[in-house]
Amino acid sequence: MTRDVDRQESVAPVLAVRNLDKAFGGVRAISDVSFEVTDSQVTALIGPNGAGKTTVFNLITNIFPCDAGKINFLGQNLTRLSAVRIAELGLIRTFQSARVFPGMTVLENVLVGRHRLMKNHGLTQMLWLPASGVEEHRLRARAEEALDLVGLSRFRNAHATDLPMGAQKLLEVVRALMAGPRLLCLDEPAAGLNDAETQELAALLRAIRALGIPLLVVEHNMSLVMNVADRIVVLDAGAVIASGSPKEIQDNDRVIEAYLGQDADAVA
Amino acid sequence: MSEFVQICVGGVVVGSIYALIALGFSLVYRVTGAINLSQGGFSVLAALIGYTFSQTWGWPLLAAMPAAVFATVLIGIVLGYGTFVPAIERLSNSSVLMLTVGLLTMIEGFALVTWGSQPFALPPFSGEQPIVIGPIRVPTQAFWVLGAAAVVIVGLWYLVSRTRLGRGLRACAENPSAANLMGIDVPRMTLFSFGLATLIAAIAGVIVAPTTTLQFNTGSLFTISGFIAAVIGGISSFPGAIVGGIFLGLATQLATAYLSSLFSSAIALVVLLVVLVWRPTGLIQSKVTRRQDIRAEVRVSTHLVRMPSNVAWIAVPLALLLAIAVPFVVTDNGILSGIVIAGILFIALLGLDVLMGYAGQVSLGQAGFMAIGGYTSGYLAINYDISPVLGIIAGIALSVACALVLSVVTLRLRGLYLALATLAFGLLIDSFAVGLIDITGGPSGLVGIPPFSVAGFEFATPRAMYYVVLGINVLLLVALTGALRSGFGRALKAIRTDQMAAAALGVDVVRYKLVAFAISATLASLAGSMYAFFFNFLSPEMVGTSRSLELVAMLVIGGEGTLVGAISGSVLITLLPTIFQPFAIYKTLVTGGLLVLSFLYLPQGLYGAAVQFFVRYGGSRRKFLAPNPVPSKRAR
Repeated sequence: MTRDVDRQESVAPVLAVRNLDKAFGGVRAISDVSFEVTDSQVTALIGPNGAGKTTVFNLITNIFPCDAGKINFLGQNLTRLSAVRIAELGLIRTFQSARVFPGMTVLENVLVGRHRLMKNHGLTQMLWLPASGVEEHRLRARAEEALDLVGLSRFRNAHATDLPMGAQKLLEVVRALMAGPRLLCLDEPAAGLNDAETQELAALLRAIRALGIPLLVVEHNMSLVMNVADRIVVLDAGAVIASGSPKEIQDNDRVIEAYLGQDADAVA
Repeated sequence: MSEFVQICVGGVVVGSIYALIALGFSLVYRVTGAINLSQGGFSVLAALIGYTFSQTWGWPLLAAMPAAVFATVLIGIVLGYGTFVPAIERLSNSSVLMLTVGLLTMIEGFALVTWGSQPFALPPFSGEQPIVIGPIRVPTQAFWVLGAAAVVIVGLWYLVSRTRLGRGLRACAENPSAANLMGIDVPRMTLFSFGLATLIAAIAGVIVAPTTTLQFNTGSLFTISGFIAAVIGGISSFPGAIVGGIFLGLATQLATAYLSSLFSSAIALVVLLVVLVWRPTGLIQSKVTRRQDIRAEVRVSTHLVRMPSNVAWIAVPLALLLAIAVPFVVTDNGILSGIVIAGILFIALLGLDVLMGYAGQVSLGQAGFMAIGGYTSGYLAINYDISPVLGIIAGIALSVACALVLSVVTLRLRGLYLALATLAFGLLIDSFAVGLIDITGGPSGLVGIPPFSVAGFEFATPRAMYYVVLGINVLLLVALTGALRSGFGRALKAIRTDQMAAAALGVDVVRYKLVAFAISATLASLAGSMYAFFFNFLSPEMVGTSRSLELVAMLVIGGEGTLVGAISGSVLITLLPTIFQPFAIYKTLVTGGLLVLSFLYLPQGLYGAAVQFFVRYGGSRRKFLAPNPVPSKRAR
């Protein structure tokens, strides 16, 4: 066991966030946040409402620029890259409210996911070159397979926004998977799911880990997190208050305090 | 010096009118988040009704004008209730913008039918004798304009900031959903703001009428000037509207006096582009910024129009055969020419559909690229005897260059601002077409363009040209279908509905927008060249802003995002006036009306409706149009 941990420590992390800072106006939303995501592991980012979890996500994918700090992804500093460049490096994220593309079928939504890895672009498609046809054909087969994996293939020609919330959430994860992520970041994948759907999501997350894709998950649902995560990072009021295995986090006093609160005068 | 002061007084007077119209824009924008481009139409309508009341029916001016304002507001409320209010509830903001373009077109069409195309002028309210202050002569009407502007501004300020109704309006501006929950009747507030804006526009119209001449289509000019003023000042700020209006009035008057009247609109547009790029939110920042409306995301086009593939296998060859047979069936040269024109416009529509229907970028300036293409190839053919094909290529090169410059300038702009920038671009090209007489022949047009020819073979007859245009369209359709059914089309559609999510998947949003814009410019330019070769003549109004708006109408009526759909819009609008000659005068009115109606009742256009009909009744067993039997439990 110890040897195992040692080996992990020596391997460079997939994502290393160092001393991240962000203020909105006068409010310090994120202060001095550091954590790592290790290969082939599920890392969960948890914390009470307003702790800054989604903000960390948005800083990593540069939807807002951070004020200070370093975000290192596979040896590349992300802080100055555009959202598109970050995706091109293989860091793929989903959104809190499932953002499937309206006006497209379920299958097309999944196909968009593959976009960054397509070899044939506009011109070859315009000329109907065989290569682009072959690629398109393969892509469709692959997308149908992926939909099959989560049981959505029956709805492949349905309008994506007609799916119930749970299915849209799964669709978004599948779409992100199609992008061939080297790190998959999921923002509250279980929000809006019922218990049965959450269990299926847990199975999907384990399957993704089994594929060797590291995951960073922001999540509220504790049972899901405790079930799936290998490592947990706890945020409160924009700062990391604890990190460790699910067991360690469950026993951590500061985490319990952050979630359950404590008498005002007991807080030193 | 006195001349300068004189010009400045004139500028302030004109600027007050712009400011009034701009106030209407700000008001509707703040309450609903949509831009109402019909504004200027109501101004002209009020002035023309006032003309009928006072000059034709002989009412005294001071009775006729309020009556005209009242009548216009009534019309405005009816139109608003029937079109704008339902549109706000179900359409995206850019669709609402285009719907109001339809309203503007309708009002202009109505004015054309009722008052004809001659210009009108009203006498000043208090005599022709100007008031002399030292060396400066001020026409009395100027005092009416300034007075009316002051009254409207104070009244509006009082209404919005001091009354209960105003509080309701402000609540809608802050957050419509929350306002609704608080018991504010949002549709009523929408209608109220629309009516109030109409009132302001109508007052501006009657008060300005004596200082200028009005025609049925002066409305778009008012709309555009007022809108430019609103954007320069800051679209969601009332003081901004006033500052912007007066600034614009002064700038254009001074430019006209000291530079050239031909380029005064060009200067206004350059000012606009500079402001848009330098400060997209305008000179004066509003304290209340309108929130990103959640509905805006929900209301983006959500219908799926797909021709079932089994139907397509029969329909495509059938359509091709029919198209080839057309010149044998249609023997009337006039009608065949109409069909050729529809086909040429369809070239531009294909490009517009890539840009608007797929990538979701509204362009109100496509005719600008048509003008560049048409004038470039025409000029080269006449003066340097350059072959049409080379001329077309030169036109395309110039158009794409302009498109790239324009998109670099407008890259940061989205939605409504992009629509505005393209509109400004179209107007700019228009003013060059009128102003650069040596190259374009000015308002009377470029004469003597040779017919289209390839390697010495001339396509001079409508029939020959028909096959050329058909060939181009078939090639384009094949190429675009290839790209749009695969990755390219998916990337565009993803950008259309959710740029952030598209970027997060590695779809290069900027690049695809540029490519879509370049494609639309290329095809518009090609269409413009073919248009010039077909008519052997090109004048500014053939490729002016009304053409841009007509293209949008054709696309929407035919069906956005369907590629082939636009042909039905193009044929309908081009051929109806040709076939029913005596009704040609109704063309503008009908175009506007159809545009409004299809936004409200046929959002997927004629083509979409036809496909839907096929799918439902055509015996196709598979459902292609968004089936919804989605159980909550997944089957495994």
